[in-house]
Amino acid sequence: MSSTPSSERSPAEVGLLTFLAEHSVDEDYAAVAARLPDRMHKRPMVTMVTVAAASLLVVVAASQTSRDAGENQSQRATLVRQLGQQRTDLDAATATVDSLRQEVLGLQASSASQLPSSIRDRLDLLSLRAGTADATGPGVRVVVDDSANPDDSGGRGRVLDTDLQQLVNGLLEAGAEEIAINGERLTTLSAIRTAGSAITVNFRSLARPYTVEAIGDPGSMPARFAQTSSGAAWLDLQQQVGLRFDMTTATSLTLKGSSIPTLRFATTGKEQPQ
Amino acid sequence: MISVVGLVVGVLLGVIFKPSVPTGLEPYLPIAVVAAMDAVFGALRAFLDGIYSDKVFAVSFVSNVLIAAIIVYLGDKLGVGAQLSTGVIVVLGIRIFSNVAAIRRHLFHA
Repeated sequence: MSSTPSSERSPAEVGLLTFLAEHSVDEDYAAVAARLPDRMHKRPMVTMVTVAAASLLVVVAASQTSRDAGENQSQRATLVRQLGQQRTDLDAATATVDSLRQEVLGLQASSASQLPSSIRDRLDLLSLRAGTADATGPGVRVVVDDSANPDDSGGRGRVLDTDLQQLVNGLLEAGAEEIAINGERLTTLSAIRTAGSAITVNFRSLARPYTVEAIGDPGSMPARFAQTSSGAAWLDLQQQVGLRFDMTTATSLTLKGSSIPTLRFATTGKEQPQ
Repeated sequence: MISVVGLVVGVLLGVIFKPSVPTGLEPYLPIAVVAAMDAVFGALRAFLDGIYSDKVFAVSFVSNVLIAAIIVYLGDKLGVGAQLSTGVIVVLGIRIFSNVAAIRRHLFHA
């Protein structure tokens, strides 16, 4: 309960919002009424014109907004339609690309089948050795994995790319002819690398556990592998660090072929006698 | 009564002629509308309080609209257009609410 009338309190006294609420009527009205109480400017024309102006303003604003809304809606509809159209075109183009690709493969196969059988056999053999053709045969399957607690022994408990390289080397020494890791065929240009925290083969990241399949003689490969330096190294890794290693023989392995990037610098020369 | 005639005249003019606003002034239209509303409700309350003066009404209407538009325009030039327009809307909104409340008290009290 303040002693001063509400129209005289300062904003500092009552706070800004209350001040605004108390002074919502123009002080001019009270001032004019106090000065000229009888002739208070009640000309109807002025009032009517001002009210007309106010309502005109409101109507114009409303009609402008509704007109804009209509335009925005139609613009949006046009954009959505264009988007749908582009998507359909993209789908059609992708389908064309796929069918052309199939056609190319078919033509390649048919042109290859038109070669004399000796050349075709040679081509098959070379594709097999290069790693571009699927390979089937008996061999061994090795599954390696990180140790159960990989952060023990100073983080050594994880399988590194060098471990996999050593394993592959050992298998080759033991007589492996074709090798694939997690389905990625090792071609003549394959590298086993670490990128970030993952091991990559053929530039594809692999997830543990790592399954190494090697086609060779399943009867002799395990024993020969154990005698190589890689075999000894892996025995060490198992016992000291706890990496998991499991080699089993398989009567039939199928290793899918991989693609080889185009050679940019190497060119063919004379072929060596086989 | 006269004001009702004025209201109808204004609405009719707007509907019949459908004036289109120049694109430069379009962003200031909403704020002008709110300022106009504030002037109209202020005049209505003054009328019910018995202190109405048409000169004050006309002057307050024109100056409200102009000042609101100028404030928002300056704000746009200075880069604080959104904030200033928020401030203007807040003040005008409070005034409109308080005037309407007073009008309601007049109409339903006595």
